[in-house]
Parts: sequence; structure tokens; C-alpha cells
Amino acid sequence: MTSREALALAVVGLPTLTAILVAVVPRRVVQPVALAGLVLSGLVAIALGIVALGDPSAPEVSDWVVIDAAAGLMVGVIGLVGLASALASPAYLHSTPSGLFGQAHGTRAYYAALAAFVAVLTAVPLAGNLGAAWLLVEATTAASAILVGFSGKPRALEAGWKYLLLTSLGLGFSLLGIVLLASVTPGGTLDVLSWRSLSADVPAGETTLVAFLLVVVGLAAKIGWAPVHNWLPDAHSEAPPPVSALLSAALLPAVLLVAWRVERALEPAVGESTGRTVLIGFGLVSLGVAVPFLWRPLAWKRLLAYSSLEHMGVIALGIGFGTPLALAGVAVHIAGHAVAKALGFYAATPLLGHEPRAAGHAVTGIARTQPALGTTMGISLGALAGLPPSPLFLSEILVIAGGFDAGRPWAAAAAAVLLALGFVGLAHALVETTGGSTRRRERANAPGLRSVVAFGAAATVILLALAGAAFWLPDTDIVEALVRGVG
Amino acid sequence: MSGTLAWAVVALGLAVVVVRRRSVAVGLVTVQALLLAGVAMAEASNTDDLGAAFALAVRGVALAALFLVIVSRTREPGPVRAGVAPFARAGVAVGLALAFTWLVPSIGLESSQSERAMLALVAFGAAIVATRRATLHQLLGIVMVENGLVLGAIELPGGASLAVELGVALDLTLIAIVAVVFHERIFAEFGSGDTAVLETLRD
Repeated sequence: MTSREALALAVVGLPTLTAILVAVVPRRVVQPVALAGLVLSGLVAIALGIVALGDPSAPEVSDWVVIDAAAGLMVGVIGLVGLASALASPAYLHSTPSGLFGQAHGTRAYYAALAAFVAVLTAVPLAGNLGAAWLLVEATTAASAILVGFSGKPRALEAGWKYLLLTSLGLGFSLLGIVLLASVTPGGTLDVLSWRSLSADVPAGETTLVAFLLVVVGLAAKIGWAPVHNWLPDAHSEAPPPVSALLSAALLPAVLLVAWRVERALEPAVGESTGRTVLIGFGLVSLGVAVPFLWRPLAWKRLLAYSSLEHMGVIALGIGFGTPLALAGVAVHIAGHAVAKALGFYAATPLLGHEPRAAGHAVTGIARTQPALGTTMGISLGALAGLPPSPLFLSEILVIAGGFDAGRPWAAAAAAVLLALGFVGLAHALVETTGGSTRRRERANAPGLRSVVAFGAAATVILLALAGAAFWLPDTDIVEALVRGVG
Repeated sequence: MSGTLAWAVVALGLAVVVVRRRSVAVGLVTVQALLLAGVAMAEASNTDDLGAAFALAVRGVALAALFLVIVSRTREPGPVRAGVAPFARAGVAVGLALAFTWLVPSIGLESSQSERAMLALVAFGAAIVATRRATLHQLLGIVMVENGLVLGAIELPGGASLAVELGVALDLTLIAIVAVVFHERIFAEFGSGDTAVLETLRD
């Protein structure tokens, strides 16, 4: 077994073991065991990400497992956000009891579901086979839906039910596409659904095209691409903040990676232009749907949720353009969005203690009444808006430049206009949320603020490092590996 | 799979679209799942196929037991209104099935009836999710979609069918358990499993 395979086994095995241990250990040690297991899992995932990105020209690809640059990037991001979400969880659990599982079992159920969610989520980018990837993506729904409805409040139940139903239905259509692919591919075993076999063996034809569309549209329902995004704003705004961070920063791009692998694998059969046009279409529609909401005064977490829709649109555009510049932008965007968005969601725990109206309404002037919290929210929103020196500013420029480079000037120009409009909306929200006029609030009432400020400091360093990386990334082996894909 | 059996499975699906009582709908979906498991057993050519067919049968019975327990624990004062009349629901479901049959090209399953039946069940499931308001009916819509996919997998030439059948069985059981947790909590919170009460989240 190679070091990569050992690490891959550990990144899935450790959170699985944590989930099992959390389910059986005495109640008083549930939280320490969960935190230790999840922090260790996160560190190992980051290590695998570093190893995979450190030598991107030598990916390990089999019919069942793939450890390439894209998988390394995603596993690293999941590790980082998973680790931070674990550390952000005690403050949330202290401030919000579970209505779904009751006071007695809430903490155990939360950590068991969180660890199970992290385990299946980490396995998604490593899946070397469309069938396995589908199964893992569907498993993330089961684990995360429980977490979305964890508070047991009516709005959380509504969000969780909608999430469970719509994503399961969407993935049902994806599975129909997989059955169609299996039916047209010679061989007849599950191995034909490996990324390499799909690329080599699937014949061109209208059945393959329909199968491709079904798979991608079904995955789009899970990614939250418009127009099949209805669950996303609700689930992200009603889930516990550490879970919202995982959903937005890790789950969406992980499933997006599966859609990308499907598109790349089926390009020989459906045509490069067709496959990429579908992704660009989803990207532009997602941006177009998100922008009007970014202009409206929305509750903090709901604003972040619509920002997720926008950013998944940007990533869809980047992989649709598919040039080295665009893919360099995608890599920076996935990492930068994860850090900035997770920070924004973590800030929601102290925000809701400091200003309970923030659960359902736009709030203003947080920096006036709680400067540390306001600054942290400002860092998150500024980065998400693409305010220089945010890495997202540079990644969006790379994606748009990549669009022109790919010979799709109209799509690139439309994206630039929509991103500019989105920037104005988020910049306005940034000014109002942090510095707008407000009433008096009790400064001390902000649970978990100290850890959120620490996250903010760490996030600032990482975001600045990513901004620097955006300058040298386009010429590196990492981008070359992303362009090459699994094949 | 014979044409008669394929259309019997479809007829059961259409009945689920129109029936009012949750327990009847659970019974119809379970009979449908057991018929599919029976077909899988009859067409099994090795022990792996037999194992998959057995897993399908266990899944069908286990889900039926789970759903019936939930029905008995969450008694509604009266059947939850669907919001769309039964004939209109049937019309939507059949229209969707015809559209799917028209849009999806032939895929080479062992019989054309099986292909059409698979697409019809997927369409009926989607129609149930879209037109029913009761949480349990919506969940049965998802089960119906997956029953359609199982039918396709059974008729799939080669060994991929085993993995699809087992995957669906495992996955659907997980989703159903989580959905049942939500259903019970929604019932406890609102006194009804009617999703019309879940319409507060709008922008």
C-alpha cells in the first residue's frame, strides 16, 4: 500500500471510527472523543491534500479509487473545514439544545451524524467510479439532513425535509442516467462506470447524451445549481452554523467535482462543446438567479446561502471553460470560498447570541456594538464579495480570462457583468452589516466569539496566502494535472 | 420480465398516485417491490444475483414494516388533502410518463415493456412528490422512483445490475430512516404530516 492509499484509507476510516465511538462511549466523554477524532481526521485529510498536490503529475487511479490533484484539493478543503467545524461545534451546542433528539441525546446524535457526514463526504472526491460516487453522494444526504433539522425548530424541519426530498429525487434521476450509461456500455459489470472506462468505452449516441444530461441535472440538484437549487437557501440558513459551513464550503464543491469528472469522462462520447456548454449554462443561470438576492436585505446565513449559489456558478463556469487559466481560477476559488464562507457561518453563532433578530432579518451595525464580531463578519463578506486582496477577486479574473481564452467571449462577458452586479450587492451588505446605524446591544452576549476571532485571524492568513498563490498557480503542474483529469 | 408483469407493476404505481389512505399506498408500493424482487429471483443466474434479489425483498418488507409502524404512531384526524384532485394527479403522472418515454431513447433492456415500465415508475414517483402534500406519500414517491430504477437494473444485461440493486436497497433504507425521523418530528410539532404547514421559508 502506498502512502497515498494509506492516507486515503485513514481519512475515511478515522471519522467512521469516531462516529462509532461517539455512539457507544459514556455521555460525559462524547464531546472530547468526537473533537479528538474529528481534529485528527481533519489533519490527516490536510496531509493527504498536501501529498496529492505536492506531486500532481503522479496520480493514483484505479477502478474504485482516484487520488489526483483535484481529489487532493477537495480532500484538503474538507479536512480543513471539517476540523474547524468540529472546533466550532461546542459553542453552538452550548447555545442551542436539540429539539430533534432531545436534551439527553442531542450532543451524541450531533457528533455521530457530523462524523458520519465527514466520513462519507471525504470519500466522495476519492471515488474512482461513478456508481460509488453516486452512492456516497446519496449517503451524504442521509447524514447531513439529520444535521440540518437538528434544532428541531419548525423552520429547520421544513428545510431538512425539503433538502432530503429534493436532493433524493434529483439523485434518483442521476441514477436513471447511470442505468442508461451501464446499458449502452459494453462489458456489463460495474467496472464500466470507472472514470477511465467511461472515457474509453462509452459509445457516442443519443442514449449517452440523455444519460449525461440526467446524471448532471440530478447532481445539479445536490450542488445547488439554479434552477434546481430550491433547497439550498433553506438548508444552509437553518442548519447549525458548523454544519452550514460544511454544506457550503465542502459538500457543494465535492459533488461539483463528481459532475466535473462525469463531464470529462463523457466528453469523447457527448462532445467537448456539448458537455462544457451544459456546465457554462448552469454557471450563468446560477449567477443570474443569485445576484438579485444578493441585492436584498437578507438574514446573515441566508445571504451567505445565496452567495454559495453565486460561487457554485463561478466554479461551474471555470470547469466549463476548461482552460488552464480557468482551472487555476477554479482551484483558488474552491479553497478561498471554503475559508471565507466557513468563517461567515461560524460567525453566526456569536451573532445570534448578540442579536437574536439575525436569525430571520438583515441586521446592521454589528461592528458598532461588537467590533471583533463585526470585523470577522467583514473579513468573510469582503472576501466573498471579491474585494481585493481577496483571492476570490483574482480567481474570478482568472475564470473570466479563461473564458475568453476558451473562445467563449459572450459567456465570459456575461459572467463578468453578473459578478460585478453581485459584488455591488455584497459590498452594500458588507457596509450595512458592519457599519450601518443600529440600536444598542449587549456587547458581552456573543457565545463562542473568542474562537470565531481566532478562526478569523487564521482565515485572513490563509486567504492572503491563496491570493499570492493565484499569481503562480496557472503555470504549475497542479493546473496541468487538473487539465489532464483522471484520464 | 413478461409484459403482463411489467404493466402490473405500472398499474400498482398508478394506483399509488390516486389512493388517499397512507396504509393502502404503503401496501401497494410493498407489493410492487416484492414483485420486482420475485422477478429478480426468477431471473437470477448465480448466487450473487440471488443475494441481490433477497436484499430487495428484505428491503421491501422492512420498509413496509417501518412505514406501517409510523402510520399507526402518527394517526391523522383525516386523510391529508393532496391539493391536486386524484384524476388530475393521474393525468400529470401519465403525461409525465409519456413525456419520458418520448424523450428517452431505447436503451437496450431485455424488453421494450421493461424500458417503458421503468420510465413510467420514475415519472409516477416524481408526480407523487410534486402533487401530494402528506409527508409519507412524498416519501413513497421516492421509493417508487427507486423501484423503477431497480426494475431497470434487473433487466440490465451484465453484472452492473447487482451493484445497482444493492446500492438502491442500502441507500433507500438510509433515506427512509432519516425521513421517518423527520415525519415523526413534523407530526409532533404541527399535529399533522401535511407539508402545507411547511411553507414559511420563502424569499
